[in-house]
Amino acid sequence: MDATILGLLIADGITSGVIYGLLAITLVLVFTVTRVLFVPMGELLMYAPLTYALLVDHKLPGSLWLGAAFLVAWGVLDLLGGARRAGLFPFAGAAVLVGFGTWAASTGSPALAWLLAVGVVVLMGISTYRLFFEPIPHASVLTYLILSLGLHFVLQGLGLVFFGPEQYRIAPLLPGEAQLGPVPLPRQNFAVYGLALVWVLALYGFFSRSLYGKALLACAINRRGARLTGIRIRDAGRVAFTLASLICALGGMLLAPLTNAAYFMGFIPSLKGFVAAVLGGLVSYPLAAVGAILVGTLEAFSAFYASAYKEAIVFALLLPILFVQSLRTLEIGGVEE
Amino acid sequence: MIRWILLGLAFAAIPFLPPFYLTLLNFMAISAVVALGLYLLTGLAGMSSFGQAAFMGLAAYTTAIATTRWEWSPWTSLIVALALCGLAAVVLGSVTVRLKGHYLPLATIAWQMALSILMGNLVSVTGGHGGISEIPALRLGPLSLRDPREYGFLTLGCAVLLALACAQLASSRMGRALRAARGDGVVAASFGVNLPLIRLQVFVLAALYAGLAGWLHAHFLRFVNPQPFGLEASMRYVIMAVAGGVDRIGGVFLGTGLLTLLGSWLQDILPVLFGRTAQYEVIAYGLILAGILLLAPRGLWPFLEAYLPRHRPPLISGHTLPAPPTPIPRSEVLLEVRNLTKNFGGLVAVNGISFAVHRGEVVGLIGPNGAGKTTCFNLITGLYPPTRGEIRFAGHLISGRPPFFIHPLGIARTFQQPHLFGEMTVLENVALGTYSRTRSGMLACLVGWDKLRGEEQAALAEAYRALERVGLAHLAHEKAGKLPLAQQRLLEIARALASSPQLLLLDEPAAGLRAREKQELAQLLRRLAEGGTSILIVDHDMDLIMGLVDRVVVMHYGEKLAEGAPEGVQRNPRVLEAYLGLPVEVAG
Amino acid sequence: MRRWMVLGLAACVVLAGLLGVGYAQAPRVIRIGVVVSATGPAAALGIPVRNAFLLYEELFRDAIPGYRIQYIILDDATNPTLAVQNARKLIAEDRVVLIAGSTVSVSALAMVDVTGEAGVPQMAMGATQNIVHPVDEKRRWVFLLPQTAASAIQAVTLDMRLRGIRTVGYIGFNDVWGEEWWTSLSAAAPNLGIRVVANERYARADTSVTGQVLRLLAARPDAVLVGASGTPAVLPQRTLRERGYRGIIYHTHAIGDPDVLRVGGKDLEGALLPVGPVVVAEQLPDNHPSKRPALEHKRIYESRYGPGSVSQFGAHVHDFWLIVRPALERALRRASLDNLPAFRAALRDEIEATRNLPGAHGVFTYSPIDHLGHRFEYSNVFVQVQGGRLKLLRTFLPRQ
Repeated sequence: MDATILGLLIADGITSGVIYGLLAITLVLVFTVTRVLFVPMGELLMYAPLTYALLVDHKLPGSLWLGAAFLVAWGVLDLLGGARRAGLFPFAGAAVLVGFGTWAASTGSPALAWLLAVGVVVLMGISTYRLFFEPIPHASVLTYLILSLGLHFVLQGLGLVFFGPEQYRIAPLLPGEAQLGPVPLPRQNFAVYGLALVWVLALYGFFSRSLYGKALLACAINRRGARLTGIRIRDAGRVAFTLASLICALGGMLLAPLTNAAYFMGFIPSLKGFVAAVLGGLVSYPLAAVGAILVGTLEAFSAFYASAYKEAIVFALLLPILFVQSLRTLEIGGVEE
Repeated sequence: MIRWILLGLAFAAIPFLPPFYLTLLNFMAISAVVALGLYLLTGLAGMSSFGQAAFMGLAAYTTAIATTRWEWSPWTSLIVALALCGLAAVVLGSVTVRLKGHYLPLATIAWQMALSILMGNLVSVTGGHGGISEIPALRLGPLSLRDPREYGFLTLGCAVLLALACAQLASSRMGRALRAARGDGVVAASFGVNLPLIRLQVFVLAALYAGLAGWLHAHFLRFVNPQPFGLEASMRYVIMAVAGGVDRIGGVFLGTGLLTLLGSWLQDILPVLFGRTAQYEVIAYGLILAGILLLAPRGLWPFLEAYLPRHRPPLISGHTLPAPPTPIPRSEVLLEVRNLTKNFGGLVAVNGISFAVHRGEVVGLIGPNGAGKTTCFNLITGLYPPTRGEIRFAGHLISGRPPFFIHPLGIARTFQQPHLFGEMTVLENVALGTYSRTRSGMLACLVGWDKLRGEEQAALAEAYRALERVGLAHLAHEKAGKLPLAQQRLLEIARALASSPQLLLLDEPAAGLRAREKQELAQLLRRLAEGGTSILIVDHDMDLIMGLVDRVVVMHYGEKLAEGAPEGVQRNPRVLEAYLGLPVEVAG
Repeated sequence: MRRWMVLGLAACVVLAGLLGVGYAQAPRVIRIGVVVSATGPAAALGIPVRNAFLLYEELFRDAIPGYRIQYIILDDATNPTLAVQNARKLIAEDRVVLIAGSTVSVSALAMVDVTGEAGVPQMAMGATQNIVHPVDEKRRWVFLLPQTAASAIQAVTLDMRLRGIRTVGYIGFNDVWGEEWWTSLSAAAPNLGIRVVANERYARADTSVTGQVLRLLAARPDAVLVGASGTPAVLPQRTLRERGYRGIIYHTHAIGDPDVLRVGGKDLEGALLPVGPVVVAEQLPDNHPSKRPALEHKRIYESRYGPGSVSQFGAHVHDFWLIVRPALERALRRASLDNLPAFRAALRDEIEATRNLPGAHGVFTYSPIDHLGHRFEYSNVFVQVQGGRLKLLRTFLPRQ
């Protein structure tokens, strides 16, 4: 174990940690506003680069059709619920998605593909909320979690159908390497670090300083109270899911050149992101980010010392950490429902 | 009666099922066993676990290794496997069950993943990812349980027996305690429930259920590998339980059966509908699951429940519980609070207060809002320890002890906001009060020993008597959630009475009641006091207090402002200033 | 009046007779069950197999006159429990005469119990020896279709010896595949005086193997074997080269597919691997027995799925059909479909009677004590990734 190896492992840990951190902050964001533990976040992370890869290859990816289908379902539900003009927007959105997508596929332009990839993931995110979670605002956290698991199966299964079982390679935005001391790092890493840092600070500031952010938080803490003070729960949920999907999509696009993208590569990182989020108490962005770096670094070192057991070590070491954290809040109070 | 007929039919049908459906039946029954454990853990006690498959794996691998490598009998290895599961559950549980909120399921995921990876990598022990094959079939004397038909009797039998046990547990004192521990740990603890202990116990129980399922699995497939015991398997068991309705035994059976059949049905029908060039089974599974939860967030069982014959309420027999022992003779100091202080960070809620309640007395504790009255109650009942000072009850030092220690000594309380369990009936809510007077443990309740002994019936009879005393007996079998506020308060009092306390702590029992209801309440309390129960009551209704109590203690900003007979306190200028804020000229 | 009735009745009888004749001439259906892992971690392996079965069903549906071949394809999601359930369903509900599958060795092994007890022949598509060895009461019903890892590893260790490699490090998947190749390597290497100095694992979905590679480098092996499959196998090689490793890198045959080579690109350059002959069909010497069947399969597959799409996993289906079709024909002469247990037994006997049948992946010979079917010399060739394509380095044909 010399300085180079140490440096490489730490750099590796931070990069992995950033991946988990991006997922962690999206999970915290969605949970604190809607009480939904959104497991399919990992799938969304992968859908963006996979959609991009197919588009630049002149193929129309199935994810665009899925996004359109969700939007159409949204429109139908709205119309059935009585809305008139507003109900047309989702249909228009679906048409734009497919039309734009066909054009992008025919030209194979990377810029268009980028836009569309991010756009379709954001639209999928928010329509998932609208279709599956908005209709049952008073369900328990466990019900939401099982619903999320169902959606995870759907999105992962569809991912295989749309994109096939193998990985895709994406060209990096910032090609080449930079040397950080003894450690060479791909320049693309800095794009990812930068993005993550910006998001963590922005979310922290948004939720702790701005009135709008606090209003969003109020929705999860006390629905009735929030409604009584004029906060619209429905809008809050939509904003949260939109933001989270945006973070996910951008993060996915920047990460894919580093790691390749495949339909199955989202779940385990989202699990580790969940770990990091819980280390931050599922409420704090900076703590979730720190937790993620911790998980990433622990994993990097375990990969060095005992690679077959690295995941077991990461998860098993969670237990004493959780235990210590739970001791800090010592109350008689019961477990949450 | 109908249940038994249905059950008999189910067993009788086994020999006639086509062979593939026998296989499915076995898988369903094994999953049902795991799901029943989840009923106990999640449905009753409110703890989510995504680690049940790991316990299955522990037991399955134990029996696989023991029967293939050391040639033990599977029945012996069953005992060892269950013991190992139990041990692992105690170790993991002691860490896990103390965790609150989201830490709990995360911890279960953590050791689930860790155990899965160990199963796959300890190649010399577990055969690694390739697993262990050639596991011997079960033999019951001359009978060989190889065929799915024969095995079906075993698995279905296990599932049914365990379901009966669950039902016994659910309708026992332990079931009430678990439900109480789930919704509101405060109330449960205040009535003598040792929360960490029973949570650990139900956790171990669920692990044992999963262990049995793992053993059944190993000897059915005669092959084990890490995959059926991984995170995805655990998730699917939780999904089955929740989709059917995790808070009902029928629900978990429904969920298990439906989702197992769904898997096979989707395999048959989707290729016909959508072609064979891609696999849509898992997608359809997810969509159907989402659909179920959107339409029935609490699971599918409530839809079916409407069509089943109504559950007949238990017959209340005459015998009640034996009275708890009286520790000290009359007219001595029952409760003594000396120099009690409580700081919450920088806030001093209670500051050096001292007072006493004598046996047979009714003492009022009054003061403006925020004076520290409820904090006093919480300190007396042990919800948190005092920063300084001491509390003695019947001579015992109780300050700093936990609620489940203090309550059985003879203190019972009501709460400022009624903490009732809306899903349980009125009678069951009150029966929680008898928890400290009954003794049957988790195991005894599982096998119905508490009912055989008559203890459960006596507890219900005691609860009924308490309801009679407060005048709610006619509502005994209504769901508690339907009651209006006044009756909820009476219900809380009945619950406290059911524990046959010597000291009753009432926290604003008259708040929100109408005049007529307050009168009835006052009459009830007077009756109780005359009957020998000492009462410490907090309230803002001066008429009620002054007409009821022997003595008044006035609190202000955490300190004792005044003490004495009602008339004197009412005229005390400092008290008036505290309440009204102005010096007032008192006539006469 | 009566005359019309009699005529009408006669017409009905004649019609019924004609229909009956027509009915008797309608093709009888031979159902073959297929269990593949088309979803889950092994999907990259199972999907080409499934697609090949669909294609071969379409093309050879009426290959046996008077009969129609029908494939019932079930997905086991890389889950042995589901594989067993599927096998039971195929045997009892669909009444198949034969089961192909599963594509993952653990699942295939789990199915052996079921097929062995029910007396249904099974063509297993997982690459482990213990599925078919030793041929006992149960295993007499199961035959192996692909080459085993233990067989393929010989090609690797031979190359190592030729290059004078003394130490080798291993990095593989943390699953059945990785474990299988590790077991094969650690068993074969010592016989040739090669020391295995490292055993690292990673997960398919991992985004980085820095730690594992650093550990490998610290052991300074002459060569590294990557026991992985599909596009995730590129990661270790890329990381090794990035960290400056200049030694030889070997892979398993599971990177020999066009998608992997395309995505891997320059990162896979120079990789050495054993493959089945079908992968480099055009480059095979003309006297290689697999050349004809391999090119045949390539033609069939690529006419449907496009040039360059041929996959070695799909080619197993070609061999399946080469073996099963004549076996079916012979069995039909011996037994009738009406007596299903007898027919299944006859089919099993006829498959076992296969001798020196050249297939895309080698020459198949089964016998009552050998259900592996392959001989190393015919079933393996050694290739290298050069310029994004596979270049045949050597075959192992016995010298004539």
